[in-house]
Amino acid sequence: MNNSLLVVLIASGVAYGTPLLYAALGELLAERSGVLNLGVEGMMLGGAVMGFWAVERVHAGTAITLAAALGIAALVGALLASIHAFLVITLRASQIVCGLTLTIFAGAVGLSSYLGNGLNLADIPARKTFNPVFPGGMQRLPVVGPIVFGQNILVYLSWLCVIAIWLYLSRTRPGLNVRAVGESPAAADTMGINVTAYRYAHTLAGGAFAGIAGATITLALTPQWVNGITGGAGWIAIALVIFSFWRPELCLVGAYFFGALQALAPQLQARNISLGPTVLWTNALPYVMTILVLVVVSSGTARRRLGAPAALGNPYVREEH
Amino acid sequence: MHVAVERRLRQPRWLAVVVPLGSIAFAFFVAALVLLATGIDPLSTYRQLFDAGFIQSGSLDQTLITTTPLAFMGLAAAAAFRVKLYNIGAEGQMYMGAIFGSAAGLYLGGRGGAAPLPIAAMVVAGCAGGCVWALIPGVLKAFFRTNEILTSLLLNYVAGLILTYLIFESESYWRETKGFNATVFPTGKPLPPSSVWPGWTLHAQGGVTVPLGAFLAVLAGVVVWGLHKRTRFGFESQVLGDSERAARYAGVRIRRKILAVMALSGAVAGLGGASQVGDFAHALDGDPNGLQKIGYGYTGIVVAALARYNPFATLLIAFLIGGLQNAGSTLQGPSFPAGLVGVLQGIILFSALGGEILVRYRFRISRRSKGEAASAAEPAS
Amino acid sequence: MTAAPLATDGAPALSVQAVTKRFPGVLANDHVDFEAAAGEVHALLGENGAGKTTLSHIVTGLYQADEGRILLYGEPVAFSSPREAIDAGVCMVHQHFRLVDRFTVAENLVLGDRRGAGRKFRIDPDAVDDQVRELGERYRLPVDPHAHVWQLSVGEKQRVEILNTLYQDARVLILDEPTAVLTPNEADTLFVTLRQIAAEGRTVVFISHKLHEVKAVSDRVTVLRAGHTVATVETAAATPQSLAALMVGREIEVVRRPKHVVEGKEGLLRVDDLWADSDRGTPAVKGVSLRIAAGEILAVAGVAGNGQRELAEAIAGLRPRSKGDVLVEGRPLRNGDARAAYEAGVGFVPEDRLGTGVSPTLSIAMNLELRSFRRTSLGPFLRLRRMHEQAEEAIRTYDIKAPNPEAAADSLSGGNLQKVVIAREFSGTLRVLVVASPTRGLDVGAVETVHAHLLEAADRGTAVLLISEDLDEILALNDRIMVMYEGALSEVPEGESIENIGLRMAGETPAAVASA
Repeated sequence: MNNSLLVVLIASGVAYGTPLLYAALGELLAERSGVLNLGVEGMMLGGAVMGFWAVERVHAGTAITLAAALGIAALVGALLASIHAFLVITLRASQIVCGLTLTIFAGAVGLSSYLGNGLNLADIPARKTFNPVFPGGMQRLPVVGPIVFGQNILVYLSWLCVIAIWLYLSRTRPGLNVRAVGESPAAADTMGINVTAYRYAHTLAGGAFAGIAGATITLALTPQWVNGITGGAGWIAIALVIFSFWRPELCLVGAYFFGALQALAPQLQARNISLGPTVLWTNALPYVMTILVLVVVSSGTARRRLGAPAALGNPYVREEH
Repeated sequence: MHVAVERRLRQPRWLAVVVPLGSIAFAFFVAALVLLATGIDPLSTYRQLFDAGFIQSGSLDQTLITTTPLAFMGLAAAAAFRVKLYNIGAEGQMYMGAIFGSAAGLYLGGRGGAAPLPIAAMVVAGCAGGCVWALIPGVLKAFFRTNEILTSLLLNYVAGLILTYLIFESESYWRETKGFNATVFPTGKPLPPSSVWPGWTLHAQGGVTVPLGAFLAVLAGVVVWGLHKRTRFGFESQVLGDSERAARYAGVRIRRKILAVMALSGAVAGLGGASQVGDFAHALDGDPNGLQKIGYGYTGIVVAALARYNPFATLLIAFLIGGLQNAGSTLQGPSFPAGLVGVLQGIILFSALGGEILVRYRFRISRRSKGEAASAAEPAS
Repeated sequence: MTAAPLATDGAPALSVQAVTKRFPGVLANDHVDFEAAAGEVHALLGENGAGKTTLSHIVTGLYQADEGRILLYGEPVAFSSPREAIDAGVCMVHQHFRLVDRFTVAENLVLGDRRGAGRKFRIDPDAVDDQVRELGERYRLPVDPHAHVWQLSVGEKQRVEILNTLYQDARVLILDEPTAVLTPNEADTLFVTLRQIAAEGRTVVFISHKLHEVKAVSDRVTVLRAGHTVATVETAAATPQSLAALMVGREIEVVRRPKHVVEGKEGLLRVDDLWADSDRGTPAVKGVSLRIAAGEILAVAGVAGNGQRELAEAIAGLRPRSKGDVLVEGRPLRNGDARAAYEAGVGFVPEDRLGTGVSPTLSIAMNLELRSFRRTSLGPFLRLRRMHEQAEEAIRTYDIKAPNPEAAADSLSGGNLQKVVIAREFSGTLRVLVVASPTRGLDVGAVETVHAHLLEAADRGTAVLLISEDLDEILALNDRIMVMYEGALSEVPEGESIENIGLRMAGETPAAVASA
């Protein structure tokens, strides 16, 4: 039963969806404060390559090495995000162009490739990886075994993050403040909330999450470094934020859904099942589905009540109001 | 002491030129620091870059190979971004243009048609391919208000999958099936000689071959500029890009405009794809490590942004960046790591974006500031 | 400065001394002196552009003065942010509300709270309920703490803003043009609330450009003109005429449209049973019918948000009609087609000047051709030189203050922007003119110009539909008045009093009047 297509799909969906979830949660935080960061793909690659590098270079026990790798990946992501933050918040540059530039700068033809080759990280397996936490016996339980107990610690951490962010946004004072900053910076400013500080903090946090998302790929999913290994996951994460109406709990559902889509092709191939006329169809399915979901979500009344933070994408200047 | 940031009332023309140039200079300075940090001598690197890009014999030919697609991609981005339609899908539109263009070239060239016919057909087919692919996000935006950034971008991945599929995963019309090599490694069917695009040799700098695509790119630049500045279409697009409400007020048919601008942008990108096949590869390149790895479409956006979406500036900057990229791949080796060019480009664009603020705003350090003669603006009271 | 200081036991609550503020291109406040005592309602009067809002922003910490000083209860203060002002007890109720639409009323209150429920890290959604209800009852500002702000009416939103200041225990309240969004009766209720607040010993500063309101609610009035203080007077001793003279610096003539006979019952503009939806998809215009003859001005009064904007846009073709017809000279207009309406001779001056009437970053020359560029172009090509020449001529004729025709439109002041719109809409073959809130935010000089152009257009035989929230404007320019309330129009009989018009604006039908 644990080898049935459905169970395997869901279990893989959770695994593949975890980097999407981290990246989406990070982008959600940034966007809630009103900053659109299209550089997620670039930040993920930055975290991916440097997390991998850390594992190669840090010679310590497994847990410490991996923790250090995560820390470095988060740091790299935050550093990259700080470029975007400075340009967009302080210098009021176009958020769209700036985010794209960040992706080019840090992406598969930029910094991550530079570092990956320069540090000789290609074509070697990771020295340490994230492995399933629970003992084999629990992993073999029917249905819940592979899905819930067969995952590595990053997956469980991501669940904690979802809960934490949900609580943060809906039940805490700083969460209320950041929501105000994203909806109406003028009102927030009048109430004494430091709009700039909140935007910087949340954009950097978004970068940190994206970095961790990248490390999840190179240290847990396909534990090696390949140039451009994220393969568009950053963009799906951005779409995911819209799809989830900027709510962390819906991000979880969406991430696993898209994760399952990504796992679909190799699984079908392994079982010799053909879903469409060609393998092209199953490969393209995640992207096409994302587009369809975007269309449905963007039109209609849903958008008006549950849509984007009102000030998303606009710089805030006090004197001009 | 108080630094005030104020909006400029008028944007002096000289600033619009000095700031981008200044940003580039600043970028090279920052990149020099990065190079020093990794133990590489920046000055000799820059000299090598310039040499390999423009001076060495044969370098201009190579540079044009990179410049031509960058020019097309840059124009495609500029045409759309200028009116706030963020078409990130030039990359995929280029692939589709290549597919359609090579189909036309393969089909018509083999029939021994009159000389310019297959090439003209490739041009038209390339435009059509890119146009159609760009209309998908265009329709979704015009009729369903779906954000065109994500849709056009996701379609890039789909177009890449289609391209790979045609050559690597199927026995399609485009795939070369004859000959020994075909069984070893999948390649595209080569174009018949009458479908290969010509080039013209200029007797300067030791003989430079300018491919047809380069001329077409310049032509496309003129067309895009002319449409934007001199026609009703351009007027309406400008209004639409400025304020949708004003556009409705002006009687602009908004959906049609969105479709038209996306179609134009996609057509230019598709033409770039046809040029890839006709000028350079002479076959459809479906290799995932080939055309799809270079990222002309994304670099084109950087080019357009640096040029502030002006078509002629786009052509010029495409040439400069083309030289830079060409030099980068020529010099690639232990002392010149891959990815450096992307890093450099990123720094240049970051500096240009940051420099923007100087154009739109003015810094004033004041304790007591002199009152200014009343001119245009008044704050509401 | 003719000062009549109130007898105080100590320093005045708020004292502004020689405050000066400059913006690029204009001197907004020029050595302004101003004083308000505890327990009084002090009006700050001046026409648009006089510097009232700027001064209030300085006092409440949004801007910093370039020169001068401010004293609160005798102590010098310098607020570098709105928060500092609020903490010191100086709060503002803004003209454009500073509320977060998506939040509930309670969340908005907690947002600004530094002392009570807002200090905790964890927030409890019910924490402020009791206080909201109690304050609401005490000050006649009832509002549901769990309602989302976007669901509230404009009047209710204002109540939330005022509640916010009382919740923060403000000592000095500054209200910026608060009655702009209220019916006359709601305004009266507001005045009672303000008097009650002042009676508790707080200070209320009431910013306005409306003379009768200033007379109705304030104890003293300070008049600002062109950025400096003109005078401070006791309200009881002043008359609307004396205040107006101080405000403008010269005698203003009260324009009244001479009554003239209007012929032609058919109507140059005819609207039959028009229905149109708002942006949210709910019906905003419900079965409106009207007829306007050539040369007639039909003035539609009403508080903002009752469907006026949607009505104007539906007639001008910017908004699709869900039902009904619009006919110009007997010929029906195509639904939702702004171009067709323009070509049929319907001019439209929208209330959203900068975003709709004018394309902000495009040049003045292009904006002057915004609707007519199709006529002046040669096939698909624009005639740029012709556009430039025509723009220069329009700038001369309408006295638009702009450096040159290629300057960006958003560098113009409100009055000059409106002149651009008028220069464009009023010329050409105009049969019908739809004008919405044409003089909002303009200074008296610009208002006079706009009114003159409107009257001139009517005299030339244009049918004019004037939609305005300014009752003075309505009364001055109309041939006929109608009132719009919740999407429906109702006739106002000739000679109706202002009070009754006010009642109609609030949806009530006045009882038959016994005597005139």
